[in-house]
Amino acid sequence: MQWILIAMILILLIPLYEAWQDDDIWQRMLAFASIATKTSIMILVISVLRDDWMIGVVGVLILSVGNAALMLLAHVLRRMNEG
Amino acid sequence: MCWPTVQARGGIVANFSTDLSVDAYVLAIAMLLPITACMLVTQVNPYHALVIRGILGAVAALVYALFGAADVALTEALVGTMLSITLYAIAVRSSLRMRLGVLEEALPERSPVADYPQPLPAATPVLSALRQALRQYHMRLELVAYPDPQALQAALVTKDVHTILLPSATAIAASQPPDSLTGHSSGQPLGQSSGQSSGQHSGHPSRSHTPPRRYQLQTRIQRLYEILQPVLPSDVASLDYLTLKSNPQTHLPHDPSAAVEPPPSMEVQS
Repeated sequence: MQWILIAMILILLIPLYEAWQDDDIWQRMLAFASIATKTSIMILVISVLRDDWMIGVVGVLILSVGNAALMLLAHVLRRMNEG
Repeated sequence: MCWPTVQARGGIVANFSTDLSVDAYVLAIAMLLPITACMLVTQVNPYHALVIRGILGAVAALVYALFGAADVALTEALVGTMLSITLYAIAVRSSLRMRLGVLEEALPERSPVADYPQPLPAATPVLSALRQALRQYHMRLELVAYPDPQALQAALVTKDVHTILLPSATAIAASQPPDSLTGHSSGQPLGQSSGQSSGQHSGHPSRSHTPPRRYQLQTRIQRLYEILQPVLPSDVASLDYLTLKSNPQTHLPHDPSAAVEPPPSMEVQS
């Protein structure tokens, strides 16, 4: 089970590198969305691994409402590029 | 020197898995936090830094949940990431801007699709040059429409806008500014003779020898003048720096960006 988490951490490094290297703001937003989802799934995996329902509920909440910040930030960036 | 210890523990990690012993994946996840923090502090563009701040918040929520602090993880994801990013994005967007006053005839009616004014093609070169100059400083251009040149000058005096854009003919017609304005025609492009500058400074523009420019920019902020002057194309527009005399009635408290005005006694090196 731990090898699943190790593999997920390695996969998490891919959008992290993308967010670091790419200068396009929208590519960084894509990497942000990818990382936000991946970390939420990792929280769910950890909750299953430890059999902890409290962490599982928090993981579900972060997965469901965590991307609202992404949407709000995308709106502000879109208005900036247009104006 | 730490490797033998790690290798010796390698075989008995499974025995400590129920304890708070350091597993390999705990170390790997915990290492993500300083990595993203280093990524954040090396950013130059404020908008890029906001995106990286969101990534840092997501990784921090993962680390908090990993260590069993579910409430802290939820707070970090909701407040630390969502609310702070939104507020900072609005703050950066509101502060890193240059309000440019233009005539209404240069702007048609608002587009039904987008709620921002589309400039006419005649004003496009100078606006694109301004945007390109301001983009280096991560600033954006905000257009404010006024009905006539007198309203433009009044808006500049009352610090409603940072810079105004006048057509050259209008600028000549309105070359006599109000009493609270002192014009410095030091905005001549590089390579131009100083004769025209002295002519404009004395209130008698001598534009007969040189072709008239299409637009004239007047700013009241010295830093904007320093940014725009070297990069503004000479065949598109000229730039003037106006020193506002101290007048308590012209201070408007509703514009926080007006706090960066130069001192009234400031002079510009031509």
